[in-house]
Amino acid sequence: MGDTITETLAVEVWRGRDEGQFETFEVPHRESQTVLDVVTWIQRNAEPALAYRFACRVGMCGSCAMTVNGRPRWTCRTHVSEVLDGGRLRIEPLANLPRIKDLVCDLTPFFEKWQTARGRFEPSATRHDPMVPVSTESPERRAADAGIECINCAVCYAACDVVRWNPDYVGPAALNRAWTLVNDERDGDRNGVLQAVSQAGGCHSCHTHASCLEHCPVGLNPTAGIAGLKRLTALAAFGGGD
Amino acid sequence: MNIERSSTDILILGSGGAGLFAALHALKANSDLDVTIAVKGLLGKSGCTRMVQGGYNVALASGDSVERHFMDTIVGGKWLPRQDLAWKLVETAVERIHELENEIGCFFDRNPDGSLHQKAFAGQSFDRTVHKGDLTGIEIISRLMEQVWARGFNKLEEHRAISLVPAADGSGLAGVLLIDMRTGGYRFVRAKAVLLATGGGPTMYLYHTPSGDKSCDGMAMALRLGLGLRDMEMVQFHPTGLLAGTDTRMTGTVLEEGLRGAGGYLLNGDGERFMSRYHEHGERATRDVVSRSIQAEMRAGRTTPNGGVHIQMSHLGPEDVAKRFKGMVERCADCGFDLAGGLVEVVPTAHYMMGGLEFELDGSTALPALFAAGEDCGGVHGANRLGGNGVANSTVYGGIAGDAMAAYVAREGLLRDADETVIEAAVGRAEHPFSVTGGDLNELRDRLSRLMWDDVGILRDVAGLKRALSGLDDLAAELEATGVADGDRAFNLTWHDWQNLDSQIQTSRVIAQAALARDDSRGAHFREDFPETGDLEGSTNTRVTADSDGEVTVEMVPVEFSVVKPGESLIAGEAGAPPT
Repeated sequence: MGDTITETLAVEVWRGRDEGQFETFEVPHRESQTVLDVVTWIQRNAEPALAYRFACRVGMCGSCAMTVNGRPRWTCRTHVSEVLDGGRLRIEPLANLPRIKDLVCDLTPFFEKWQTARGRFEPSATRHDPMVPVSTESPERRAADAGIECINCAVCYAACDVVRWNPDYVGPAALNRAWTLVNDERDGDRNGVLQAVSQAGGCHSCHTHASCLEHCPVGLNPTAGIAGLKRLTALAAFGGGD
Repeated sequence: MNIERSSTDILILGSGGAGLFAALHALKANSDLDVTIAVKGLLGKSGCTRMVQGGYNVALASGDSVERHFMDTIVGGKWLPRQDLAWKLVETAVERIHELENEIGCFFDRNPDGSLHQKAFAGQSFDRTVHKGDLTGIEIISRLMEQVWARGFNKLEEHRAISLVPAADGSGLAGVLLIDMRTGGYRFVRAKAVLLATGGGPTMYLYHTPSGDKSCDGMAMALRLGLGLRDMEMVQFHPTGLLAGTDTRMTGTVLEEGLRGAGGYLLNGDGERFMSRYHEHGERATRDVVSRSIQAEMRAGRTTPNGGVHIQMSHLGPEDVAKRFKGMVERCADCGFDLAGGLVEVVPTAHYMMGGLEFELDGSTALPALFAAGEDCGGVHGANRLGGNGVANSTVYGGIAGDAMAAYVAREGLLRDADETVIEAAVGRAEHPFSVTGGDLNELRDRLSRLMWDDVGILRDVAGLKRALSGLDDLAAELEATGVADGDRAFNLTWHDWQNLDSQIQTSRVIAQAALARDDSRGAHFREDFPETGDLEGSTNTRVTADSDGEVTVEMVPVEFSVVKPGESLIAGEAGAPPT
């Protein structure tokens, strides 16, 4: 086989729930190895009860995000060599979310807040109507397209300082989705979106630290969308929530 | 053993395109229904709908027709699809794509005039694949998830179904026994109707594409109930999976079809472009031909360091490649490979199961109260699935099953009393690994995946299949003697690995038995000892059942050509041929 074991990695892994400790594992270092592979190796070879979550393996589902050496990331798409710090890795669950066990957290608040920001399409037509022709050149459609490829992995939510300070803040991903809906000419209640995001914990809570932009694994810019929402809600005179 | 018990009107297993569509349709049909969605991972995040790159086949454009889409599906499926199911697929896809755009909120790529863009996809005689760039699945499942989260469904995330439990009086299905993976406890959910939509997923092969949570649990549960599985020998291989070495979950994941279509080269270990030796279309030949050719090079030992072949794109201009295949190039770069400018090792990889549980036009099965949709089911695709017909299948039949379950519950829905002996036996089965010690689960997984790859893979013959069946018996016996340390059962993935292997070994036996029974070669199934397609008029489907001891029987069932017969066509021109 082409892989060679060049050295050993020292991997500190969070064990427990809110209370717990780091446990250190020695893991063979391989040429082709992601952080998810490291975690998998530990479960298969060293600690059978280690809890972690993954599904698609290719950066499409966003199930495997964890904090790696202090930074939230998709572990399936993070090559070990990219994040190694002096031969060490420290792996923890995502911040800002309730913990379940070891490296797994509960994403329920993240998805509930997505709904709080009215992060869902409201139809203006039915399956029996023809599809509306939509110009891909309009500024609105371009704005929607720029934000639509979010896979709801919650990396931005875990990276956001405001989420940490303000438990009501819906967070960057939910607002990014709201921004794409405000720009979707097919949506039947775009004012409803603006109303939702102008409430307390909505877009006006953002302090523009741009951590979401810095951490988004697909390179989206939620900060820009949130700025757009702030502008539109001010114009619509919904007022600031907080 | 403590078992938590609850009841619901409709229980849905799985949250891909089939499960989520079923949930939305059932609730729309009757908003008073109590609908529960149970899923092995997170809602909308596990399974493979999300991973769809290609798109959604549907006859919309002028010049195209459902008849044409139907003929492409039948010819592509080598005359083995159940024709009424294929017809329902192509017909309902038209309504479903409108529902996705107009009601669910998906936004698919447009033409300059604002109408829907439909691209060309292999094996089709018309450009009919609706898509959102090369991330169609993310758009579909993300929008579906939002609609589901917006409504009052009961959500059982990280719940693994371990047994479909029949009623004590034999009148139908009573409910489903699950493990709450977060606590490690058991839960029995009684339901008036149950949808099996867990997805298939040939993850028992050394190289495979599907999501890691899939392990054929749905098919294995249906088999244990005595239900029939059809066309199980039909496992589709994608020719270019990433080959990154052992001990990495990157290995096996798909590098998209478009790379070959755009003019990418496949080079063997000697650096030779070999495809022209096998087929006049070279790298642009169909999936099955390219997969078999790569396999032949691998057998001849002309391989790259990790045992596959190379794909080369750099002759097309690294900058252009990086622009045109942005997602693929970035993914390879994250994994340490330079797809645009260098060589990347690839290997054929198990992708999709055309076979599965027998089901009817309304999603019902032979067992009252059990419905099924999506990759758990067999019959729609026959011997080969067209790219773009997978997500059409799951969303079309998921929605249909949701409507049908709501109607069934209104008509004759009742909560049945469970056969408690089945619950007891299933708990006993799940507890078994805690009662033994020793064994090596990792070694068993490796051996299973190599056995299936070598002997039940792309090229098959009688000796290999018999060797596989005997090897699978050994593996099943060894799994019985392999233990898992008891203790903290919450989110104990090693316990679930054991159960995954149990489902995979059972399903592997069915695949091997069906492959042994089919003595012809068509679509995804290739027998080196029977390389001919055989007489199309006399085509048969395989049908596998198991008795209560797990003994498997295969029947060959003549295909009913209910719409068209071989030699006939509903269209002018050649089905399955590229548009001219």
